[in-house]
Amino acid sequence: MIIVMRAGASLPQIDGVREHVERFGVRSHVARDGFRTIIACLGESDALTESSVATLPAVESVTRWRTPYRLASRQLASHGATTVVRIGDGAGASVGGPALAVIAGPCSVEGREMLLETARGVGRAGAGALRGGAFKPRTSPYAFQGLGLDALRWLAEVRRETGLPVVTEALDPRQVELVAEHVDVLQVGARNMQNFPLLAEVGRIRRPVLLKRGLSATVTELLLAAEYVLARGNPDVILCERGIRTFESATRNTLDIAAIPVLRGETHLPVIVDPSHAGGRADLVAPLAYAAIAAGADGLIVEVHPRPATALSDGDQSLSLAGFRELMRGLAPFATAAGRTLASPPVGREAAA
Amino acid sequence: MSDLDRLRGEIERLDRALLGLIGERVRAARRAAAAKRAASMPTLDPAQEAAVIRRAATLAREAGLPEEDVRDVFWLIIGLTRRAEQEASGAVAEQR
Repeated sequence: MIIVMRAGASLPQIDGVREHVERFGVRSHVARDGFRTIIACLGESDALTESSVATLPAVESVTRWRTPYRLASRQLASHGATTVVRIGDGAGASVGGPALAVIAGPCSVEGREMLLETARGVGRAGAGALRGGAFKPRTSPYAFQGLGLDALRWLAEVRRETGLPVVTEALDPRQVELVAEHVDVLQVGARNMQNFPLLAEVGRIRRPVLLKRGLSATVTELLLAAEYVLARGNPDVILCERGIRTFESATRNTLDIAAIPVLRGETHLPVIVDPSHAGGRADLVAPLAYAAIAAGADGLIVEVHPRPATALSDGDQSLSLAGFRELMRGLAPFATAAGRTLASPPVGREAAA
Repeated sequence: MSDLDRLRGEIERLDRALLGLIGERVRAARRAAAAKRAASMPTLDPAQEAAVIRRAATLAREAGLPEEDVRDVFWLIIGLTRRAEQEASGAVAEQR
């Protein structure tokens, strides 16, 4: 049940409605949409009827949920309004605002120096945040699994040196607090999109979460995964379309461009796109990135390596630093056409150097 | 006044004290945000947040309180105060 209060409803009137539904054991969550107050009822009770709520003072309308997800639903925000998730201090470190958020860095952290070199390079080119894998979920158990705690420490050091906020993946609920001790944003990877204990844990610690769409997950399943995080009280969820598995083998995955406007219609959460995993080839990153921004994405997460040919993972899809600079230059007209801006470098303290 | 009424009164007094303390913590966090800005430091300090949680868990153990629940409460308080810090540092909190 969604309760829309009349414009100008007083706080005691809003509290009265919340107390009414909570007496039936139903949790209430208040969302503000411009001048309107919307009360989302979470949970069901046969005894709580729409008519009993509709007659309460200052209630404008009572409607049913049309989606299985609640807190992620577009029904809690007006058309076009996007939740802004702040992952750092610069304009380019807010996802869902007027500026596009570009997160860039290596697939895996391979060492401190390569990470610092990459961070400086992407920061100067206009990235608002650094990505880098410490724990890698690889398809084969014999593939490089990431440098773990050493990588986390280097991420924290490079964060301090460059001022760039850092995004990295947590694979396991038991890692979440350790990862949170070192970085700004916790990524839940595509393979873990429906790891419900992990989702609950990243919901608990209330850091921004980057939630990637599973390889074969529908948009509804992605939004229900986001709901797990939101329901634990963490409102800062960024969705990421990274390509889905189809019959097409010319690309690593198929970038589901339509998912961007579909998500825009279904949710108020910001949406970014990972053109690196979608195409699986460096030469596809720029065209897929441009298409994503044209389709309304709030930003990009891009794999960048100073020497892609020697990368320990995902070298084929990683841009060089020069390639990333070229991508950012090419992005500008698409950003303008989509009514967005690109945060101008420098973002971090060092990026000014 | 029954014993239950007296106990409910005591619980209300404690709730008010808790809210007063949370308000104090938010105000202190805003001042910390200003100090970080002055030192050109990012608003979020992950290692410091982790240290706060560790300290709370240790104190919970010593007080015989359920440690995991206390950790949950402190992650919640940290999230709340971080938002206040970000707002104090001119965060983009509006909707587009």
